[in-house]
Amino acid sequence: MKIKSREAGQVVILDVSGKLMGGGDADTFRDTIHDLLEQGKKRIVVNLSEVGWVNSTGVGILITGYTTMRRNKGNLKLLHVSKKIQSILYITKLNLIFECFDNEDEAIASYS
Amino acid sequence: MGDNITLTFPSSYQWLNMIDLVCGEVTSEMGFSHDALNEISISVIEACTNALEHGNGSNVDLEVRVVFRREQGRLTVEVFDCGKGFDYKNYMDNIPDPSDIQNHRGRGIYIMCQMMDSLSFEKLPDGGMKVTLLKKIDGTGAENSD
Repeated sequence: MKIKSREAGQVVILDVSGKLMGGGDADTFRDTIHDLLEQGKKRIVVNLSEVGWVNSTGVGILITGYTTMRRNKGNLKLLHVSKKIQSILYITKLNLIFECFDNEDEAIASYS
Repeated sequence: MGDNITLTFPSSYQWLNMIDLVCGEVTSEMGFSHDALNEISISVIEACTNALEHGNGSNVDLEVRVVFRREQGRLTVEVFDCGKGFDYKNYMDNIPDPSDIQNHRGRGIYIMCQMMDSLSFEKLPDGGMKVTLLKKIDGTGAENSD
């Protein structure tokens, strides 16, 4: 998994690519989230358009990022969630937890 | 129909792409719907990651074996690892609510249970664990057993 970070106003967009499955992915994602918190950046959009696979561990990684942000009065929202990832979120009822967007501008505007 | 495809790979994530490609070919050729194809793919990759991570401890010297059994109207996928296995009966009986975001335990098994028509575990007499996933072509619901 690779993560590139960019900013749109006060919103940070994390462009994630590759597999979100475990191994070192959890550490990479957690470190990124903690770095953002240290910088006071708490409005996060995770762009999953280039993520081919997510398994239950990958979902756990997203949840950990979400709960970390919420504990620190921030939020983490999802962008471009593939059909496969949508079906995992739906089956695990996590679609009720995550805000998901198909449009980047709308995801950014949701923080206004 | 009634033929099998067997793939064996070292316990490394890099080979999951190969498994997913073969899984996609097999399920497409058998006539599964697009949704079912996704559900099988997610479940097989879940079982394979469990096998290589938890079963084989990500030891690349240990192999994961995947058998696709194409039968009339259904696909059975068997995933073998070399690990010590786990108390799957207790595990299956105590899967927490998957929407409990604080509890990651059991989510993978829950996902496989929901997406496949049948999911079963077996400790092998010579060591290792076998996970069997079954999907009927017109399967509509979970019918899980252990």
